[in-house]
Amino acid sequence: MDTLTPYVVEEKVLDEIVRKYKGSPGVLLSTLEAVQEANPLKFLPQKTLLQVAKKLNVPATQVYSVATFYSFFNLKPQGRHTIVVCRGTACHTKGSRELLNSVGQILGFRYEFDETEPSYTTPDNEFTIRTVACFGQCAQAPVVAVDGVIHSYVNAPKLLKILKKVKSSSYAKDQSK
Amino acid sequence: MQVFIDNKPYEVQEGMTIWQACMQAGIRIPSLCYMKDVSGNASCGVCVVEVKGAKSLLRSCITKVTDGMEITTNNARVLQARKMNVELLLANHPLDCQTCERNQRCELQQITYDFGIHERRLPRTRPRQLERDYSSLSLIRDPEKCILCGRCVAVCKEMQTVSAIDFSGRGQKTKISTFMDMGLGLVDCTNCGQCALVCPTGAIVEKSHVNQVWEAIHDPEKVVVVQTAPAVRVGIGEEMGMPSGSLVTGKMVAGLRRLGFSKVFDTNFTADLTIIEEGNELIHRIKNNGKLPMITSCSPGWIKFIEHFFPKSLPHLSTCKSPQQMFGAIAKTYYAEQAGIDPRDMVVVSVMPCTAKKYEAQRPEMDGAFDYWKKKMKLTAEDRFYDVDHVLTTRELGRMFKEVGIDFRSLPAEDFDNPLGTSTGAAVIFGATGGVMEAALRTAYEILTGETLEDVNLTAVRGMEGIREADININGTILKVAVAHTLKNARILLEQIENGTSPYAFIEVMTCPGGCLGGGGQPIPTNTEIRTKRAESIYAEDSHKFIRKSHENPEIKYLYDHFLKEPLGALSHDLLHTKYVERKV
Repeated sequence: MDTLTPYVVEEKVLDEIVRKYKGSPGVLLSTLEAVQEANPLKFLPQKTLLQVAKKLNVPATQVYSVATFYSFFNLKPQGRHTIVVCRGTACHTKGSRELLNSVGQILGFRYEFDETEPSYTTPDNEFTIRTVACFGQCAQAPVVAVDGVIHSYVNAPKLLKILKKVKSSSYAKDQSK
Repeated sequence: MQVFIDNKPYEVQEGMTIWQACMQAGIRIPSLCYMKDVSGNASCGVCVVEVKGAKSLLRSCITKVTDGMEITTNNARVLQARKMNVELLLANHPLDCQTCERNQRCELQQITYDFGIHERRLPRTRPRQLERDYSSLSLIRDPEKCILCGRCVAVCKEMQTVSAIDFSGRGQKTKISTFMDMGLGLVDCTNCGQCALVCPTGAIVEKSHVNQVWEAIHDPEKVVVVQTAPAVRVGIGEEMGMPSGSLVTGKMVAGLRRLGFSKVFDTNFTADLTIIEEGNELIHRIKNNGKLPMITSCSPGWIKFIEHFFPKSLPHLSTCKSPQQMFGAIAKTYYAEQAGIDPRDMVVVSVMPCTAKKYEAQRPEMDGAFDYWKKKMKLTAEDRFYDVDHVLTTRELGRMFKEVGIDFRSLPAEDFDNPLGTSTGAAVIFGATGGVMEAALRTAYEILTGETLEDVNLTAVRGMEGIREADININGTILKVAVAHTLKNARILLEQIENGTSPYAFIEVMTCPGGCLGGGGQPIPTNTEIRTKRAESIYAEDSHKFIRKSHENPEIKYLYDHFLKEPLGALSHDLLHTKYVERKV
């Protein structure tokens, strides 16, 4: 994570977003959502939270309160690809715990994935891994979502294939630039 | 309208909550989050009652009565539910009551006992130990002891409009946090301590200086002098088991002497001194087209508030140090010189109704006495000492009395030591909202008109209204003044100043409700009724004083004649005045 320079959304962009939502109900939520989207690393750095607080004239703690309440908001930089492993009951009985550890092995975490942490991002900023309580796809357990696409009946070899595929696709994209 | 509580009919007012109706009927429903005038966010679930026709139990603190409502406060279902809700809170609460700051003063401990809960039945659910926050100079937060009642968040947001703390996270991970969990000492917290006053457990407590004070007292090399703020004499009695608002000045002095302090002095002495300096500063500003309105600067929470939120208005603040800091500076110069004490060997302890005073004493600029002696004694940076060394709250003093077994009630009344113990009625009212204003006007009026003020009771600025204003006629010129207490009300007056509509020449601001007597270091509980009683005692002490104007204090006159020379003079500037800084979050 140290290799990353946290990206902060420009003030100009921020002002535009604030102007767009000012006065509408739930202005803080809409603003935070748009600002996070505008950030290439899809997260809300401390500086951005303070700027939003100032521009919307709400206490900084309240902005922090909202940003930590919703799992949608990220306070840490996110990887280019997101892997969400379902930890619902059905997936658990079908081995999602082991799957989670496999993801860890594949991506090279030094330790077991700690479920008290909301997410983990690889040092190369390629993958962010998260868990979710249930996707509602219990019949096809265990399920894993990769960049928003749900894969069913996942096991470690299948997962390895999927991850290789998304990584090579982003590599190809980089090459074509 | 009529309701039935436990089968008995009662006449109640429309709009009342079930909790209030039951209270009126003589049933105090237990609760851990609801607090009159502070908060009621129905988070604890301890106040549930059964209402006929309702499917589930209802939280009495937020449910309004309706005509003919049949309420049951005592049946198996209700009591079991209440007990379960307390047991759920205890699942994550450390059971270390003996070593907790709030032992025997804890609402959770009391309710656990009252409910007959003798064991922790439910396993811990919180995955990790939460860290304590030691970053503040005034307060310590222990999120492990927090039951998420939300009272602290409510006072910080509603009463003080500071919002230094709020809920963060969700579900099991919910806790009270500062911005980015930076810690109270690194955010815009004003250290007012109102959060500590309303906390039902030991999750927020003052940073205690008791050990350092004992160490100093027991050190034969040190001369330890103590000063007591005006509001402590109407609070410490409560801490020692006496009725609310007991006026115990003489017993307090006697008790302090028995603790082993070399001299028992009074912050009231420097309150009188503050009036001379501040009164002259006001007159100077009026006569020389200075920045008006001038705002008082005695309340350190208020100072940090304006530094964070309204830095543009800092020139409106009086440059006078607070009485606590003036005392430290005078004790370690004038008194040290007079008594022949090396200022490095003198330890100044203050007893304050306040947690922000702990922070104030350690502001880097509060070393005026060291500067004074630096050249004279050829001191080096290693010798540097603060004007005030340790600050105790009223609660901490109570604990020290108990530690050595002082029977407070039977203590005789003793007098303060001289010279820094002589004070007037104008000084004691510093402890109540409006008091600094009244004291300043008693003096400013006489200086400006050259006439004697016949009736010193300026009742227009007294009371508990959030903002009070008065027109003072001085030789035909009207001086418009205003008094505000709690930072919510201070904010209103500051917004007027910043948008150019403030009609006032002089404003008094106190951080805490009721002024210092309702300070964050005062006995727990402190509520509206108790504050009113303490205020009555403050004004009683004033009215019984023979001298009631600061400029008539003979020791103050002597201090100017033999040391300071003149108000706003060079020495006053060095020792009694200060500067402020702009602060960010």
